[in-house]
Amino acid sequence: MDLTSGAPLPPAPLNAASQPVATANALVAQLGTIHDATGQPVPTRMLPGNIPAITVDAAQLLATARQLRDALGFDLLSSVSGVDLIDHRQVVYHLRSTTRAWLLQMTVNVPESNEIDSLISVWPTANWLERETYDLFGIVFVGHPDLRRILLDDEFVGHPLLKSFRPTPLTIHDPATTGTDGERAISGETQRGIGHQRVVPSHLSQGEQERLHPGTPTFGSTQFHGRSFPPQTWRHQPDYSGADEHDIKQEEKK
Amino acid sequence: MATVNEAPRYEEGAEGFRTEEMILNMGPQHPSTHGVLRLVMTLEGETVTHCTPVIGYLHRGIEKILENRTYMAGIRYMDNADYLSPMLNETAYAGAVEQLMGIEPPRRAQYIRLITNEMQRIASHLVAIGTYLLDLGAFTPILYCFRDREGLLELFEEVAGSRFNVNYMRVGGVLHDLPTGWLQRLESWLDKFDNSWKELDVLITGNEIFMKRTQGVGYIDPDQAVAFGMTGPILRASGVNWDLRVNRPYGAYREIPVNPVVREDGDAFGRYMCRLYEMKESARLIREAMAALPGGPICTRTPIALRPPRGETYFAVESSKGELGIYLISDGTEYPYRAKIRGPSFVNLQIVPELMRGHKMGDVVAILGSIDLVLGEVDR
Repeated sequence: MDLTSGAPLPPAPLNAASQPVATANALVAQLGTIHDATGQPVPTRMLPGNIPAITVDAAQLLATARQLRDALGFDLLSSVSGVDLIDHRQVVYHLRSTTRAWLLQMTVNVPESNEIDSLISVWPTANWLERETYDLFGIVFVGHPDLRRILLDDEFVGHPLLKSFRPTPLTIHDPATTGTDGERAISGETQRGIGHQRVVPSHLSQGEQERLHPGTPTFGSTQFHGRSFPPQTWRHQPDYSGADEHDIKQEEKK
Repeated sequence: MATVNEAPRYEEGAEGFRTEEMILNMGPQHPSTHGVLRLVMTLEGETVTHCTPVIGYLHRGIEKILENRTYMAGIRYMDNADYLSPMLNETAYAGAVEQLMGIEPPRRAQYIRLITNEMQRIASHLVAIGTYLLDLGAFTPILYCFRDREGLLELFEEVAGSRFNVNYMRVGGVLHDLPTGWLQRLESWLDKFDNSWKELDVLITGNEIFMKRTQGVGYIDPDQAVAFGMTGPILRASGVNWDLRVNRPYGAYREIPVNPVVREDGDAFGRYMCRLYEMKESARLIREAMAALPGGPICTRTPIALRPPRGETYFAVESSKGELGIYLISDGTEYPYRAKIRGPSFVNLQIVPELMRGHKMGDVVAILGSIDLVLGEVDR
């Protein structure tokens, strides 16, 4: 899915710009230094609000980032956003220069392998921002020292900001206890699921682990759960993309 | 992580005592973590050797919700991101849609936005200072702060209909014009606030206990602050003159210049002073905007079903905590294809483990409070 090839963008408004035209043009004039560093062409376009946007090859990401920081002075990494364009994923970086007050958008198309380089070595703030992108989009950042979920639970399955994400029931609730006699209800037998389908988690959650085995480190240890890298939750994620297309076709027929 | 994963170590202390590393959980239900933040700290005696924040207890998937709401309906969900500064959040989201569509709000709407945004900044800083002092053991300042904030919330209620989830900004302007007599009431509140500000200053700033507990605690180097993506009062307290209202003026800030508050301290005391003087600066901005408030319409005529053209944009405002950015992608339908919230609290929290290392247990609260976190924005 390509969102950039639609109708031509409207002219940027005169006043409500994130960046004055002169500043944006000065920045665009400087972007040739990236070409000098990487040897690759740098496609540049102008977004509404006069924000220059460059598209970078995933293989040249690290070299481009270093060049942007060292030669052009982009010292502040504002945000890292994942985008799911259905046929591929993107990672979008917003960079600022506190000395020259520039704003630049850098887009990277994630290759088929679903892995791109981590930018922690260039901007330390990429640490949590990339973890968040991994958590919500499943994009693996190679070289990240601590790539695990940050906003969602460690046991969560799937990556919710993907367009193909369908929520799966995490727990199956036991039936209400109104039909049971008092003793059983108080003793908790019904609640514990005796006689009903029981949900057995593959491993203990953080809190249970700490309660049952005090002293064992649980938080943040990928070794503890016996997970390989990248985590298995990503590898065994069911692919719903086929179902999606089917649904779309069905709707079109109607 | 490595420190946490190791088995407890036994070492010979300085006086020959056997010391053991201790893991201490702080939160998620701890009064001084300002919400549901959990800190896992490794202690050696009383010294923090490692600190791991665990977040996500308040994750509501606001970005996913925004993808499933129309542009106008999404504004309301921005209130819940940083629930201490809803006006600023809404301005960011509405501004991003406007930038995408190429709309310029009327001047009066931009001035009203400036006034409400600066009021919100004062309110947010009042909470920050009040709760910070409460964490440090001073009970009185929070009563002063919440007394002043109450006046602001009443004014919000008059203009928008509710105190917290205001839902006041619209794409292309604001929802209601200012009620009759509202500006006079704001004026009288500002007069009262001048006195209360002096009271706060006298009560807190020169206090010897407060200074002992905050000066030199949680020092952030200017280079480190930029590298870790700090913005807002934290960055300015480290001596970096960076304020989006000044460096990238948007809205009415292009006509009413801001004098940024920059301090060289870089410690918790500097951050407190930054917030204190920013409130004074905000009050000055409100007075200037009230004096220059133009007439005219408060909103452009925008259709209810907004369909911005295909494209993407990034719009950021200077929130009370730092740069609040919205990255919006439109695919030409009524719903945003992707809406990313760059919350300042989320990024600012990252530096906490760096600051904690080597400090005593008692300083943990002093450092955490000085960062001014809102967990609604951290977790989104």
